Amino acid sequence: MFKDLDPILHSQLRLAVMSLLISVKEAEFTFIREKTNATAGNLSVQIQKLKEAGYIDVTKQFRDNYPLTVCKITKQGIKAFEEYVANLQSYLGKG
Amino acid sequence: MTQTEKQLTEKESLDLIAMMINKAKDTCHDTGIAAIMWGAVIAICSLVRLSEIHVGYKLPFDIYLLTFAAVIPQIYFSVKEKKERKAKAYGDVFFDNMWMAFGICIFLMIFITGSIYSGLKPMTEEYQKLTGHSAPFHFYEFNSSFFLLLYGLPTFVTGVSMKFKPMLWGGLLCWVCCIVTIYTTVKIDLILTALSSIFAWFIPGLIMEKDYRKAKKGLAAANV
Repeated sequence: MFKDLDPILHSQLRLAVMSLLISVKEAEFTFIREKTNATAGNLSVQIQKLKEAGYIDVTKQFRDNYPLTVCKITKQGIKAFEEYVANLQSYLGKG
Repeated sequence: MTQTEKQLTEKESLDLIAMMINKAKDTCHDTGIAAIMWGAVIAICSLVRLSEIHVGYKLPFDIYLLTFAAVIPQIYFSVKEKKERKAKAYGDVFFDNMWMAFGICIFLMIFITGSIYSGLKPMTEEYQKLTGHSAPFHFYEFNSSFFLLLYGLPTFVTGVSMKFKPMLWGGLLCWVCCIVTIYTTVKIDLILTALSSIFAWFIPGLIMEKDYRKAKKGLAAANV
């Protein structure tokens, strides 16, 4: 029996963000934007969705008087990501 | 990344995950500046001390004071690198703390060896006065061994953990030289210390700096 893929993660940009954040302890918004080549507006919307799902933590700080947004994957996010990958593998294995 | 939300196939999803993980890995590069600086500083200190002993002159100051002076640019580089670092890797905190602990150990070792030397000095002078012979044991002849022992530790751990062979071999060289310096004269000890710092830090630092520049160039090209 195939499990449904998590709709929050099964989206190109959100999955890219989660894949980046699972590889590092934390990352700045500009780093994620550079790596995903997404626009700031689109990325903000997707990050907000991931935050609302409880998959990432978003901290707003200031550095040299400039706003700085730092994102970090949560335990719930790691669990969801691992489940998503396991489901993908089972689809590919049995499909 | 496209702006529209494209429906991914399972294969595309896995490929995307692998690509982003590799992209994240590519960014975790050390600038190598600190390694270059410390490699050069220790090599210069050792070679200047060697020339003092060999030629028979004395600088008006202790050349090893350069190591204390080098702490200032080290702090500057660390703060600058931290500010420029847009993502923090899991290993960053560990490596930062390990090298900081190494720095503390080095300064404690300078204090310990200095205390032992000043404690033994009157005894060796007394021995020479009474017997007319030089003392059979001079503590300063073992100084390099203690320091090389310490140099090898963080270098080897960094080399193994980061799968960075130049540092791994550099760390091992420090330990080999640590053993050799037990049996060699102070002059040879100083040459081996200079050699170890060049191979453990200076050369790996240059390689890291080259990789860092290459990665930065690649990133700039990708963003054009």
